[in-house]
Amino acid sequence: MSRIKTCVSLYSLQDQYLTKKMTLNDILRFVKECGTQGIEILPDQMLKNAPHVSDETLENWHQMLKETGLTPVIADVFLNTNLYKNRTLTHRECIDLLIEEIKLANKLGMHLIRLVSMVPYWVIEPLLPYCEKYDVTIALEVHAGMAFDIEATSSFIREMKRLNSPYAGLVIDTSIFCRRFPRVVREYEIQNGASPEMFDYCDRLYERGEDLHKQMVKNGGRLPDAFVATMKTREDQIFGPLCDGYECYPFTVLDEYMPYIRHIHLKMYEMTPEGPEYSIDFKGLLQYLHSKGYDGYVATEYEGNRFTLPGHPTVEKEQVAANQKYIQQCLKEIQGSEGN
Amino acid sequence: MFDNNVFLKDSCVNVVENGVITGFELQTNITYYRGIPLSMMEYVHVAVDGEMIPDESISVSLDRIDYFTLKEAETVTSYKWEYGEPLIIRVAKEGGLAPGTHQVKLTVAVRTAYIPVPLEGTKERTVEIV
Repeated sequence: MSRIKTCVSLYSLQDQYLTKKMTLNDILRFVKECGTQGIEILPDQMLKNAPHVSDETLENWHQMLKETGLTPVIADVFLNTNLYKNRTLTHRECIDLLIEEIKLANKLGMHLIRLVSMVPYWVIEPLLPYCEKYDVTIALEVHAGMAFDIEATSSFIREMKRLNSPYAGLVIDTSIFCRRFPRVVREYEIQNGASPEMFDYCDRLYERGEDLHKQMVKNGGRLPDAFVATMKTREDQIFGPLCDGYECYPFTVLDEYMPYIRHIHLKMYEMTPEGPEYSIDFKGLLQYLHSKGYDGYVATEYEGNRFTLPGHPTVEKEQVAANQKYIQQCLKEIQGSEGN
Repeated sequence: MFDNNVFLKDSCVNVVENGVITGFELQTNITYYRGIPLSMMEYVHVAVDGEMIPDESISVSLDRIDYFTLKEAETVTSYKWEYGEPLIIRVAKEGGLAPGTHQVKLTVAVRTAYIPVPLEGTKERTVEIV
């Protein structure tokens, strides 16, 4: 019996914060109003001087958790290997930075850290004593374009299996489950001067269960010639290579990883007025996770904000609310509760 | 992708120090979705009416207390350019911008954690100096 719980990543409301329309406290109250159980935060985004936050910041954080009743679920952590312009950090420097992130997660009341994609496998073993001491699990994000077939991800998974610790796992991002190319991305890019033919090409791939990333892998890592032929403008040169960030895996790709999955990002580009997300079948995914007995959180991670057309307001609040309503309704149908 | 973050509206003004116009300044949000140490700023370019400002004339500040040249900023790891807090960019230029209308173009790029190329954003604004 699964006990899937709901969560919102504050990444979804980043523009509200950037433009000072909402403070962190406003955002937490809004998430609570959406009927959500848990929250995910990027400390680097909304907590000043993270990972070395002030006592005042921590006090406010815990006060807001108390007020809203939200559960602090996961902190999204990055590794600044390129902190300096003239060199890459050494292994020890990388590990020291991540130890500080583990300590911060502990102070925030969180037991889980999302390590951004491409974090190297060799950080796991030296970090495990700290994970145990502070009761914080580290989980690598599996994101489209940087998923199971990419060396940094597969070597992390190999090491995670070898160490077989409950403190090392995976976060799955639903960008790997796109069934159509997000139309908000297409519209934004066309407005920026990209060629519609480039996206038409991708659409034809999805129709036969393929995606650009798969084609690139088959083509030795290079964009296929037929795709390159659709690239005509300067914007095509910039965005064309990024079109591989929307992969089309079947849900069953997760079968062998289920014991390691600690968290799910419901990456979301556009909730349609009719209900489902335009590109991703969340209901199908939740049914799959339920059948596998997943009992973690699924977190709304809205990314359509980045593709807001110039002169238009971002619709972050509306999109998050719509996604939460849809997910809670799906969970009620699937597991007989809204995630409570 | 982060062009909308660049060059805050109405932020470009002349800088007056001790009654003398010593240059001009402008403000920008970060071209990323999180805060990073200032050392991870890759470059800043300013162009006025199509003419590039030399790097040596540019300095940046997070708090209006400490100012760093672009070269110095490469070593600033203890202060972060926070998400949602503008960076102040100052250009040393005797007399600043002349009264009238100017086309000011700002380009900002930062190094990120997992994307191999720096994330760049650009915005050009028509600036009115009175």
